[in-house]
Amino acid sequence: MAGALGLVGRLALSWLAVVAAAFLLLRTMPGDPIEMFLDQMSVQSGPEIVAAYRAAWGLDEPLTWQFLHWLEGFVTFDWGVSFETGRPVAADFAARLPYSAAIGVGGMTLAVIVGFLLGYLAALRTGGAFDAISRGLAVAGQSLPAFAVGLVALWVLGVELRWIDAFGGGPVERIVMPMLLVTFFSVGAMARLTRAGFAEVKRSPYFRTALAKGRSRPAALWHHGRAAGALTLIAGLAPELAWIIGGTAVAEIVFGVPGISERVVQAVSHRDYAILQPYIALLALWVALVLHGARGVRRALDPRIP
Amino acid sequence: MIRLAILLALGAALAALWAAGAFGDPHAVDLTNRLAGPSPLHLLGTDHLGRDLATRLIWGAMPSLMAIAIVLGVGIGLGVLAGGAIALGPAPLRDSTQWLAETALAVPSLVTALVLSAIFGAGILTIAAALLVTSWAPYALTIAALLDRVRAEHYWRASEALGTPLSAGLRRHLLPNAWPAIGALAGADAGRAVILVASLGFIGLSADTGRPEWGAMIHEYRMFLFTEPRLVLAPILACTCVTVLLHVTLDASDR
Repeated sequence: MAGALGLVGRLALSWLAVVAAAFLLLRTMPGDPIEMFLDQMSVQSGPEIVAAYRAAWGLDEPLTWQFLHWLEGFVTFDWGVSFETGRPVAADFAARLPYSAAIGVGGMTLAVIVGFLLGYLAALRTGGAFDAISRGLAVAGQSLPAFAVGLVALWVLGVELRWIDAFGGGPVERIVMPMLLVTFFSVGAMARLTRAGFAEVKRSPYFRTALAKGRSRPAALWHHGRAAGALTLIAGLAPELAWIIGGTAVAEIVFGVPGISERVVQAVSHRDYAILQPYIALLALWVALVLHGARGVRRALDPRIP
Repeated sequence: MIRLAILLALGAALAALWAAGAFGDPHAVDLTNRLAGPSPLHLLGTDHLGRDLATRLIWGAMPSLMAIAIVLGVGIGLGVLAGGAIALGPAPLRDSTQWLAETALAVPSLVTALVLSAIFGAGILTIAAALLVTSWAPYALTIAALLDRVRAEHYWRASEALGTPLSAGLRRHLLPNAWPAIGALAGADAGRAVILVASLGFIGLSADTGRPEWGAMIHEYRMFLFTEPRLVLAPILACTCVTVLLHVTLDASDR
């Protein structure tokens, strides 16, 4: 219980540190958002207009107050309006999050399931066909640019084979294809991690004992190795889950998915800080959750980990 | 052996390209010769404005090479320093550096680059900063773990008892142990840097939109994917070749 409380406390502290740093960085950057906003609206600006906006947006308060106000707004889902479109940011995010989450979580779940089985099969016969496949997938995932693979997949499936409608907006193109792209780029790493866990069990004396008792190799490896395989998989899963945000970003852009990352890329070119600040906060929350969550799960599975 | 072969092959390829006149002006437009196929004059053919594809590919390597240099130079340097701080520093420095490294490990570099581009504007320095934020951490944690292991060995304590200065001890006992691990990390890291530069270029946040860059080229030529796949496949292949070569040359652990 105390351990869980400490975990939550550390999680909250890391999140606050990152969010405060991002807030400070965004606010102290050269370029006054009000001048930029007035420029964009092509309004004849005078000092009193600037002052009025400054007061309306709360930019005349000290930075600490601004941060606390922003934090209060973030926690109560009052995320302000986009400088660019004038629409509420929270509603925009709520409409886009399901797409990003479906692609990221769906792709990752598939990668974990397929990767675990592939890792088991690869460890069962070291140097066999499944070992080669998992190695090839791992190398491809590290050395191919994701957006290029997505483009080529569009070309092959959409134009050469005509299995999908390359520029249509159906569920296959918007969810399934980007999901498979995410899976393709994670499954190799997952398989290699799992294989390492299984391979260690294969070298252990109790595995030989199980074989001597007459169990078949696949049954013995599955029975004794699946916990070890899962443990190494979870250890490597945390950074992979954090990276997935970058992976979904690329998939969203290639397939034209109306997800969060696509919106953020627009916001970057327009310097729309109202979008960027909650995005960074959500991102930091996700990364902190994944890191601390993975540590908690590993500790629960393996009492030897301090 | 493999490294020497790769180096020789690279040199030969560059010399051949130079002899074929592929180092010319990547912006030279020739509208009478648009979308021409490969020929002795244009080794890979020309694009929709009649520009030489091979020349653009060569100049397009520049941002990637710069990113590799930054990751391999500054990233490893910072990582070694931080790793030393974790393993040898006083408790507060050790704990804070370790926390920082574990956090940086989880930061997605593409997203960092996006956010930094919004703040500082797109440019090679922004890409470099994004790469640095994330690339030092694995080196730091690896070096720290190695240092801890080496310092528990008898030969380390013997060399300490003999009065060897710390720097000499590190050079003698740590470096030979650290090199394979660092090489494997560096191979993966340099490859990631190349892919990051290309991804940013594809999104439209490349260092300098006027200059050729592989990702930007893929973006620019993507409408010819169906009619002239050569234009898109060439930069993709260039990107892949570089990352695979980096893996093979720097990572000695597989052999």
